[in-house]
Amino acid sequence: MIKNYFKIAWRNLWKGRVFNLMNITGLAVAVACCTLIFLTVYYEFSYDNFHDKLDRIYQVYNVANRPKGVEKNSAMPIPMASAFKAEYPAVKYVTRSGNMGGVVTYGNQKVDGDIHFVDPDFLKMFSFPLVQGNRNAALSELNSAVITEKAAKKIFGSKPALNQTIIINSNNEEKPFLVTGVAKDYPSNSSITFDILVRFEHFPQYKVEKNNWDSRSHIVLAEFNEGYNPQNFSKQIKSFVNKYYAGDIKNLKRDGAKPDANGDIFTLALAPFANNHFNNDIGGVEGDAISKTYPLSLVVIGCFILLIACINFINLSVARGFTRAREVGVRKTLGAGKWQLLTQFWVETIMVCFASTVVGLLLCTLLINQFKAMFKSKISLAMLLEPAHLAGIVVMFLAVTAIAGFYPALMMVRYKTVAVLKGKISGGKPGKLRNTLLVIQFTLSTLLIICTIITWQQISYLSNKPLGYNKTEVLSIPVGQNAKGSDALQLMRNELRNNSNVESVSGAYMNMGKGNDGSSMRSVLGFIYHDREVRTHLQRIDYDYIKTLDIKLLDGREFDSKFGNDSTGLVINESMARELGGKNLIGSTLPIMGGESPAHIIGIVKNFNFQSLHDDIEPLTMTMLKDFEINYIFVKVKPGNLVGAFDNIKSNWHRLYPNAEFKASWLNENTERQYLSERRLSGIFVSGAVLAIIISCIGLLAISIMMVVQRNKEIGIRKVLGANVLGIVMMLSQDFMKLVLVAAILSFPVAWWVMSHWLQSFAYRVDIHWWVFALSTALALILAFVTISFQSIKAAIANPVKSLRSE
Amino acid sequence: MLSLKQVSKYYNTGSNKTYVLNKVDLDVDQGEFVSIMGPSGSGKSTLLNIIGMLDQPSEGYMYFLNEPVHQLKEKQRSALYKQNIGFVFQAYHLIDELTVYENIETPLLYQDVKSAERKALVADALDRFNIVGKKDLFPAQLSGGQQQLVGIARALISKPKLLLADEPTGNLNSKQGEEIMELFKKLNQEDKVTIIQVTHSEKNAQYGSRIINLLDGKIDSTVIL
Repeated sequence: MIKNYFKIAWRNLWKGRVFNLMNITGLAVAVACCTLIFLTVYYEFSYDNFHDKLDRIYQVYNVANRPKGVEKNSAMPIPMASAFKAEYPAVKYVTRSGNMGGVVTYGNQKVDGDIHFVDPDFLKMFSFPLVQGNRNAALSELNSAVITEKAAKKIFGSKPALNQTIIINSNNEEKPFLVTGVAKDYPSNSSITFDILVRFEHFPQYKVEKNNWDSRSHIVLAEFNEGYNPQNFSKQIKSFVNKYYAGDIKNLKRDGAKPDANGDIFTLALAPFANNHFNNDIGGVEGDAISKTYPLSLVVIGCFILLIACINFINLSVARGFTRAREVGVRKTLGAGKWQLLTQFWVETIMVCFASTVVGLLLCTLLINQFKAMFKSKISLAMLLEPAHLAGIVVMFLAVTAIAGFYPALMMVRYKTVAVLKGKISGGKPGKLRNTLLVIQFTLSTLLIICTIITWQQISYLSNKPLGYNKTEVLSIPVGQNAKGSDALQLMRNELRNNSNVESVSGAYMNMGKGNDGSSMRSVLGFIYHDREVRTHLQRIDYDYIKTLDIKLLDGREFDSKFGNDSTGLVINESMARELGGKNLIGSTLPIMGGESPAHIIGIVKNFNFQSLHDDIEPLTMTMLKDFEINYIFVKVKPGNLVGAFDNIKSNWHRLYPNAEFKASWLNENTERQYLSERRLSGIFVSGAVLAIIISCIGLLAISIMMVVQRNKEIGIRKVLGANVLGIVMMLSQDFMKLVLVAAILSFPVAWWVMSHWLQSFAYRVDIHWWVFALSTALALILAFVTISFQSIKAAIANPVKSLRSE
Repeated sequence: MLSLKQVSKYYNTGSNKTYVLNKVDLDVDQGEFVSIMGPSGSGKSTLLNIIGMLDQPSEGYMYFLNEPVHQLKEKQRSALYKQNIGFVFQAYHLIDELTVYENIETPLLYQDVKSAERKALVADALDRFNIVGKKDLFPAQLSGGQQQLVGIARALISKPKLLLADEPTGNLNSKQGEEIMELFKKLNQEDKVTIIQVTHSEKNAQYGSRIINLLDGKIDSTVIL
């Protein structure tokens, strides 16, 4: 019997091969894209799950209820970790963690490395097993270092790494370390990344700030005792906070901070490390946290596409069911039971689904590389072979066959035997279900089209908005670990003085946008001015900064080597001037960096977007204080020959630093790089919209074929009665166009809600215009009309005699 | 073997009932060959469909092999039908996707007959109707007469006690029609199969043992040959 089912199913599928090919294509595309999407999502959610004690590890951050709103910050003072462990009994292990690039020297070998500064507890908390060395003792000495297998291979080649001495140059300090452990390479889904682990005591400024509770520079992670419940943490930690953060609380109170529900103005809180990969809320975690929006929108779009493909399947099967009504009738007279018929149709569904899955997985292997590049995904097809994923595929497969196969089968089985045998199958009725499903398909498609257009608008707005400085002709060169920034700036100035391409050279502590070095830093400082706290971003710049970046000077002057006392001068932006209030600010002194070195304002510049357009322009103060290092050199070149100038400056750089990489990039590249995740989201929307439309149109095409078959006689009669081709095409398209229109209108509120929500995350954003909705609707209507026209025109120009004779 | 008591079939058209069959009483004995005749719309096919349990009467009782069909549940009715009734159609109604062999085999599949037994039975039928050479052809490759022969072979494969035929020669030319009627007669006389056929042709009706004339949903007259 089973064999028989398959045989008949095969013949039936072959007979309707055009239909089934459409069906398989649609479903295969959906399978391929869902596989890629769900693997990606799984990967994102699998971050850090290899740590055995993941559920007991938390990151500590502080919450300040400032008058302007709640501010979360994960930067901790150096003495905090040990005090926390000593005074909060539930803490089992605690580690501070800081990150920095460095150059590792071994013999003649010099290798760049990612240095992680941690406490000895680090190896006990996290599952980074050592292949050589003792886990408990590896970081017990001050000059111990643990390196990964990969780094060991780079530094030592095939030679043993254990007990070798390496020199690490980080933050312009050279120190020798003894390799006491080699760690197994960690998986790619680890938030914590490092080449070398060293003791936290080597972190920059450690000795100076060892007992300072006001300087905050790194994050703190803690493992709690088994069964610990973090619910009452903020209550239990109150006395600790009052003891060590009294200064903060006093300042906040003075500025009018309002206590939260627990009566706290300033408190410590815990963020579970399991959620680390999605924790972009507390400002600074291990690794690059991403917004949950990204995997979630992927899941939503994956489900949309699967749903649309299933709807196709149902509509196609129901439509094809009409042509098979007679077969069902005959089988019933031959004694077929309901379940036997259902099984027969279900077998057909399974075969189609199976073929789709196989084709879909093949598509997957073809597309995976492009997909990985486009969405920065680190998935591999080998992940499919994990038992959980195999089970997932089987469940999804069965679910799809059940949903998409059962309803059409039931429809067919329900046909009235006698009517069917008389040839009186009611084919003309469009069916509420089919219409509903079509509306759902096109609602989702239009929704995605609208999202595509709006994200695209916003992105082009972001890249075209004037930022208040020159971003096309200014090159930003990260200095890196090989040189001291101020020296490098001086050398580059001299080197480029006679370069005819170069207009001016300057340097700064912060970059503009996100450079090739990928790092971003910011420094926020508060001080008391006229009895209240003023908070400002701090930027260390050098001579000619304003000139190099084409920032508009409103008042005063910029730093100039001709003036002797410029190291105590300040240049502020408009927002800062507004924050300070009052007129004639030039010459007034501000007690930045404590009271010891009062500085005076020498210039005010027009506001420029020194942060991404997600944020408003906040108060900014620019100084030439030597406490901050120059990290980036800015070179403004003459317009016209940017490529030539780039190569020119590159060769200059290499003459000065033959071993250092030249990671320069133009400022507009840097600003674009700030919006990578937005671009990725828009990429997701575009691909989703295209797929959704293609699959929906395949379904519409198939349905229009069926409709033309069913209304063949009617079309013939109408033609005989004098209808013209256009009239018939319009008649056949009309019903569908109405459905598409309804679908589009249904999608408007959802699209508006979703997109205005998304736009909220930008301080600078486009408005949602009505024409976006109109355009999307028009697009959906046109695509639907063209799809239907293939069939309707063919039917309309056919000779009516043929269709009438066949009756 | 078959007994209909006051069987009616009507449709509601607005507030009126349109009767297709109006209180029909009919008894058919084992071994009979009954022909139902009448003009178009007299209810012939409806009567046959009710007898064949493809359709259900609006009113009345029906007994088949002493079972009260009107009281049976769907499942029991289906079982009774499967084992005892074979159907032959005017339009043959063979399944296009199946070969001659498979078409004949299908009823056995639905009765869960074992594979070996199925083979033997189908081979037997092919032999008996002289269509062994055509067993791997599809219906579209056969002439009308040959298709109807397959239809009859299929109807008889599960050895039904009652064979129902709805204008079996309606789509055939006169020579093919004659052959089919000769076959029916032989089946009735030699194999003792009870046959009820609906026909328009006076000549074909003569092959049977009784003719029932229907008019406007009622039995108008009965002729015993």
